[in-house]
Amino acid sequence: MENDNKAQVEEPEQEWPYLDVLRHLRYWKMCIRAPLPHVYLSNESNRLALAYFIVNSVTLLTPPPSERTPQTPEPLISREDKRAMRKWVLHHQHPTGGFCGTSSLVFPLHSYDTYNSNTKTSDEPDHAGLANITSTLFALQLLALLADEEDEAAGENVFEGVDRVGTLRFLKSLQREDGSFGEALSDLPGHGRFIAGGYDMRYCYIATAIRWILRGDVEEGSPGWVEDFDTEALARYILNSQTYDRGFAGNSQDEAHAGYAYCAIAALTLLDRPLTSTSSSSSSSVPHKSPLLHSSIRDLPGLIHWLASRPFVYLEPPPPSADQDPDTYIYQEDDLDDPNFLLPPTPADLLCLLSQTAEKKGHDKIHVAFNGRTNKVADTCYFWWVGGALANLGRLDSLVDREAARRFLLEKMQHRIGGFGKSPGSPPDLYHSFFGLAILGLMGDEREGGKVRGFDAGLAVPRETVGVIERARRKLIDSEKGGKGVVDGGKELDTVEMGLELRSGGERPKWLGACGY
Amino acid sequence: MPPKGKAATKPKATETPATTTSNPTTTNTTSQTASQPSEPTTVLERSQQRYEKTRPFEAARQQKGLSKLPKEDQKGWICDQLLHLTNRLPAASRSSLLGPKASKEIWWTVNGTNSIVRGLKHKPKPHTTWGTDRNGHDVGSYTIERFDERFRKRIALTALQVSSRVFRENVEREKRGFVDARSGREIIVTEREIDEEKVRRSKMAALKKDLYGAITGKLAESVEWEDVVPIPHEEPEGALAAIIYPAEYAEAMSYLRAVMTTKEYSPRCLRLTEHIIAMNPAHYTVWLYRAANIFALGISIPDEIEWLNEVALANLKNYQIWHHRHLLVEHYYPTISSDPDALAQFAKQERGFLIAILSEDTKNYHVWSYRSWLVGKLGMWEDEEELKSIEKMIDEDVRNNSAWSHRFVLVFSNPKYATPGKAATEKDEKVPQELVEREVKYAQNKVYLAPQNQSPWNYMRGVLVKGGQPLASVQEFVEEFVNKLGEGEEEEEVKSTHALDLLAEIYAEKKENEKADLCLRRLAEKWDKIRGGYWEWRRKCLTQSETEKAPGEQVEKAEEGIAAA
Repeated sequence: MENDNKAQVEEPEQEWPYLDVLRHLRYWKMCIRAPLPHVYLSNESNRLALAYFIVNSVTLLTPPPSERTPQTPEPLISREDKRAMRKWVLHHQHPTGGFCGTSSLVFPLHSYDTYNSNTKTSDEPDHAGLANITSTLFALQLLALLADEEDEAAGENVFEGVDRVGTLRFLKSLQREDGSFGEALSDLPGHGRFIAGGYDMRYCYIATAIRWILRGDVEEGSPGWVEDFDTEALARYILNSQTYDRGFAGNSQDEAHAGYAYCAIAALTLLDRPLTSTSSSSSSSVPHKSPLLHSSIRDLPGLIHWLASRPFVYLEPPPPSADQDPDTYIYQEDDLDDPNFLLPPTPADLLCLLSQTAEKKGHDKIHVAFNGRTNKVADTCYFWWVGGALANLGRLDSLVDREAARRFLLEKMQHRIGGFGKSPGSPPDLYHSFFGLAILGLMGDEREGGKVRGFDAGLAVPRETVGVIERARRKLIDSEKGGKGVVDGGKELDTVEMGLELRSGGERPKWLGACGY
Repeated sequence: MPPKGKAATKPKATETPATTTSNPTTTNTTSQTASQPSEPTTVLERSQQRYEKTRPFEAARQQKGLSKLPKEDQKGWICDQLLHLTNRLPAASRSSLLGPKASKEIWWTVNGTNSIVRGLKHKPKPHTTWGTDRNGHDVGSYTIERFDERFRKRIALTALQVSSRVFRENVEREKRGFVDARSGREIIVTEREIDEEKVRRSKMAALKKDLYGAITGKLAESVEWEDVVPIPHEEPEGALAAIIYPAEYAEAMSYLRAVMTTKEYSPRCLRLTEHIIAMNPAHYTVWLYRAANIFALGISIPDEIEWLNEVALANLKNYQIWHHRHLLVEHYYPTISSDPDALAQFAKQERGFLIAILSEDTKNYHVWSYRSWLVGKLGMWEDEEELKSIEKMIDEDVRNNSAWSHRFVLVFSNPKYATPGKAATEKDEKVPQELVEREVKYAQNKVYLAPQNQSPWNYMRGVLVKGGQPLASVQEFVEEFVNKLGEGEEEEEVKSTHALDLLAEIYAEKKENEKADLCLRRLAEKWDKIRGGYWEWRRKCLTQSETEKAPGEQVEKAEEGIAAA
């Protein structure tokens, strides 16, 4: 509680809720130093995901070396720690490419029976199902996040030891005929080798991210070249997953969902993202305006409508005595079962309620929360999924009431012990604590004085880390082929044409003009 | 000068309370605090006392230095040292170190000082001499009784281990068909022997746990897992996100690793997956391995589904369970696809369970996703019960968007009329118009129940687009929810922002842009302020579609304008 006082002294008259960085750091410190409690056992098969949440959050809260002052606390993860952690991450690499999610799926090398220890290769990926698409992305992101920032040269080498070719082959082997991706390979008796995992937009997004991180610009025939997966089939699969209510789902037969909308949008963006950021683009959360994204989506204004429908005015649940006072609170009965999404019957009711609250409080500052599906409850992570989706479309700043949304996040979701909870009042967890910081990094806020690093909406790492990835990819490819690659040229208009073709609607939609193409 | 007094103590009487040395100070704290010879309370103390007894001059030497000791003591110390040194050597080489004369002198001196000849070679130290127990405590700090108890347990364990090894060897011999040389009969492991071994193992496990805290869960004890050498996993330094989990889980995973390495498919593997799933139902590899076992062993799919139902109800938010179910149905389907009755029966069963689980968690994404897939797989399109059950769910909660979403798929993806490959947001000419009308009506009735509920509005709009009908075909209905727009703060009445939103689209569709703009403006200004930015963007889009012919610069400017706003 001493921190409370300190904070008040430092910023006595702030009008906006602020991010208590020290408190968040304390939460993350706990997550690094002590083993996680038993409730995380369900994540045991994907510990790299948890590690990604931890390291990404710590990086977000740690100023880059150039911005450190004598007041800046020592980085939570030291340079030595980083070295050890990088080794640990690499230890999850499967001998034939890809990464396993947990060390309990890492087998002693001799048990990979087709693994030839002399050539250090394996003819055929064995132990199918152990390497996993999700873990592979988290591993690569972690390696980049764990770059030693005080040593530029070391940063280039973060992918040293990554089996780039094997991993890209593994990636390609996970694509299904319909263009979508599964999460792992599995040998099922009677069914042969089969691509396991649901029809899940997350895997599609992850596939594009791994491709962007590792593939580079190696030309066919050169060493290190790996056949690309079918990007067009993937794009078509994604585009076909727009639902009747204009959001996106795991496929078009499912309910629209903000997480999947983000994945769909970010995947399309990554498919034509230039391999290197320009100096101007690297300072923005959206380093690249994707021609493919803007031209290919069947109903882009509809998608924006669906995303813009996710924020709602968060209303405090009424006190228990409220039922005796029906004039004050106008709620639908069922709502009280789900107090995180209270929807007054008519807009006038809402306005009336808000003006009453404003009178009581002496100000009309509202809280804006986000849900992930129509009529669902507030959840920290959906602020990120919706915000991230809009950011990739270049519309986060103009379409979201950032002030009210930040207020909700910081006043209702921030926990006393640091971190963010899933819903108001709930204890923090790694997942929501990370996404809370991610959206703050994405929105940026000059008043926070750069407390949180700028965040990349497509790759979901801080912007500095994107630079690390770009340099490390270059280095990894150069080390494979011993030469230099060609810089990719922007072929925006070709991409637009391809996008239009993918829409399978011949005419040029109106909004394309509105998007600047 | 030989050590004073106490010399009467018999050299071998080390067990009795030691009268120790008479040196004024010793490094031993116990003898320091009490001038009386103290009773050792711990094993460490006892050994330290023994050690000191064999080295009566050591303490004094350490304190004062050898040169400061009286001559006799110096000689005594040197002789002790030599004695202990030669004791460590093999008997044969002792004589080469010291000649007979020197030996004789040493023995004479030692005899005089009453040193105990067979002493401890090393000074006993906490932790290193006896090690630590499972709680990290120094075994040396044990009381003598406790230490003896521990000793007895270790002997008991060793005895059990020997018997167990005999049993294991017999099992192995039985497997290979060995013949007993004496009796000339094949070796057979009897039921009784197995039972005895079971008892033995539980005893061994209890002892091991007691002594060393070793993880010996169910599996290590089980005869069934006899032949499997578990592969425990090791983690290098720098590990992140370690999770506290029970020893039982670690054990089970190490056995899983072992059987996965040999690709074993067997009933015991099936039970192993069940055991792990009970502890962590979210481990995708375990589920995949289970599926592989089910298929390899030809386990009845309905039986597996019945088991799965229980697991699903106990783990509502689990994703892997539904993927498993999906695999099971894919596997099962070909066996019943040619039998319409069996298919209908199976569909009915599945629906029964889905209704049950959705009543627990009405918007469960994985369940709904499985359900929409199942409708396609089993061809449940024409099944009236399916539509009825969805209607019931919407009646129970008109805002259950998952149910609305399922309804849309059920009605508009029916391959009987739906054009294959049409996207959900695309018009489909093949969809019968009466169906479109029926669904529009249905949605409208639900809008009346709660006008601010977005689900039926989205549904209605989706139906109109699918059916290729102009949005304006519902203009009258929509206008019921908006009165006197723009006719003054007091007059204006908006019962649903979604109506105003749709009305704006209808006007735009009819090229009545001013009216459309008014709707959007009122949304931004009053009725839906939190989406102000969005409504403003829609207003800009209205004007842009007019200037569409020259998108270039104007559009860019508009974009900049939006960004600035």
